[in-house]
Amino acid sequence: MSHPALNTDVLRSTVAALPNEALAASRTAALEHFVENGFPGTRHEDWKYTDLADVIDISRRWLDGGARTADVILPPESPLDTIEADWLVISNGRIDDGQLAQFDLPGVEITRRSENDAQEPFRWPLVDLNTALLEDGIHIRVTSDVTRPIGILVVDAADQAPVVSQVRIDVEVAANASAGFLEYHVSHGGADHYSNVVANLELADNARADYIRVQDRARHHCQTARLSVTLGRDAVLSHHGFDLGGKLVRNDLHIDIASPGSEALFDGLYIAGDDQHIDNHTRVDHRVGPAVSRQEYRGILKGKARCVWNGKAIVHEGADGTDADQANHNLLLSRKAEIDAKPELEIYTDDVKCSHGTTVGQLDKTALFYLRSRGLDELQATRILTHAFAAGIVNRVSNESLATLLSSKVEQRLGDLAESG
Amino acid sequence: MLKINNLHATIGENEILRGLSLSINAGEVHAIMGPNGSGKSTLAQVIAGHADYVVTDGTVDYKNQDLLELEPEERAREGIFLGFQYPVEIPGVNNAYLLKAAVNAKRKHEGLDEIDAFEFLKLAKEKMAMLGMDPKFLNRGVNEGFSGGEKKRNEILQMAMLDPSLAILDETDSGLDIDALRAVAEGVNACRAPDRAILLVTHYQRLLDYIEPDHVHVLSEGRIVKSGDKSLALELEDKGYDWVKEAASA
Repeated sequence: MSHPALNTDVLRSTVAALPNEALAASRTAALEHFVENGFPGTRHEDWKYTDLADVIDISRRWLDGGARTADVILPPESPLDTIEADWLVISNGRIDDGQLAQFDLPGVEITRRSENDAQEPFRWPLVDLNTALLEDGIHIRVTSDVTRPIGILVVDAADQAPVVSQVRIDVEVAANASAGFLEYHVSHGGADHYSNVVANLELADNARADYIRVQDRARHHCQTARLSVTLGRDAVLSHHGFDLGGKLVRNDLHIDIASPGSEALFDGLYIAGDDQHIDNHTRVDHRVGPAVSRQEYRGILKGKARCVWNGKAIVHEGADGTDADQANHNLLLSRKAEIDAKPELEIYTDDVKCSHGTTVGQLDKTALFYLRSRGLDELQATRILTHAFAAGIVNRVSNESLATLLSSKVEQRLGDLAESG
Repeated sequence: MLKINNLHATIGENEILRGLSLSINAGEVHAIMGPNGSGKSTLAQVIAGHADYVVTDGTVDYKNQDLLELEPEERAREGIFLGFQYPVEIPGVNNAYLLKAAVNAKRKHEGLDEIDAFEFLKLAKEKMAMLGMDPKFLNRGVNEGFSGGEKKRNEILQMAMLDPSLAILDETDSGLDIDALRAVAEGVNACRAPDRAILLVTHYQRLLDYIEPDHVHVLSEGRIVKSGDKSLALELEDKGYDWVKEAASA
């Protein structure tokens, strides 16, 4: 499908008018690259199931309306009040200075991207777009064991006209250090919004990170997000991703295992109803062994929702001792919901252990009958079993206040889903 | 309490029950015995309301109402309890949560308030002690990773908490070692009451050493072919099911 072109004149003038002069050179270079390539289309294998028409439409309207940015806005209720963490806030792509000034966690250094801009190779159009339109990014460097989680609240709001915003988070965990991160996305307002998130996570030798991403956006807001992770020797990543809202959502998780002894353990939960579209693409490059990667994604779909899970694992030549496992399980609660589940294993070496499993189905009838035979009505039984399916992922979150919040969010979301068509 | 008349039931293309009739009064314990495939479990599932079984003929009257008209959950709230032959594992659903939801569903139906949390816990722990169950089982997933014996004890725990009028126990003795069998039987015996009926579905006589039935019925090819008192069970143990089959076809 071909998309109408964006107004490049406005795009150029928007980029030129952005604050933080230090980023100007990298913005201009990225912009030209983006203008040349445009948004990825469905003819591209990686975008076969996800059409960015909504994203392009919002971007076009935003540019036509003068590409206005909005101020930092905090929603009346936010995880800032309920989850124990030290928070940074990025609202509509703008770093909240007040929150940044307050941030004080021993062993953690926060800087702005504009203080140490580095040119990157152009690999992905959406990253180019991010670089081109980025107001500023945050850079987090962890140098010791940090027990309190580092929260990054991304708030996107559009009240009158559509808004497009860019978020950039770069994280470095130094050798032997460890930390927990929580990237939490919320949005509000009646107008359409498109948020484009780029995060990089670099774990040095023997570093550990627990990185959690929660996407709880309004149902008319869109998101594309890329999280790239590189693992040093004996580094351990645990990652959980939750997609509870959004209209069109695409997450790319790319893990690069370039040193032996590392482990990447990650999972995700997506809940989609009505005409929501949630796409999770994961890719693990096992360049050396021994190393472990394990992933499990679970989805609950209803209405005309469409979800995608594409799990790619590439075991490169010489990556002996690789242990890669992937699983994707889906509950389809309506006839018109659709899941495209695709495990992809590419193995170029012999000494490996790889496995994958994908299931798509309805609730277990025997379990439903069991609950009903105990006096629970069908709706209640359905909700309990669906919640239990989701709890399989939620329960892996070790941060207690977050797990409690997620559990009630999931319960609420599933309640809405039960009442929807 | 329960009056089954000329019941025919099929699953898929197969007719399993072929004209079964049975009456059970309050206060009685009945045992249904029979060889594999005779329709014992089907009878239990049909009474509980499993949708895979289709009743093609006959009637089931329970407390003067047409049982077959009721949904499974309505039957449960009206006091029917089925102890499953293969209790279902439901990971992620807390055992205590299910117990409480089940108790409250019944209480709501009876016009009572929800059970007090403290009272619930006290009652559950009391019943668990009787069954020799560790209270820790309350906080585990329903039957998740339970051994065969633990699953059956958990079924009896649910029964004891739900206080049913008619309890049907489907092969509750299968897969139990002697200690578990004793604990389960004690739990069942403790539930015997003048206003309650119990229907034991079993392949072996062994369970009946511990729970003495008032009536024993032999099921063969979807019909009750012989009824008697507890001595019938002993006779069956001695002579085997072929004896009844021959007697029935003669």
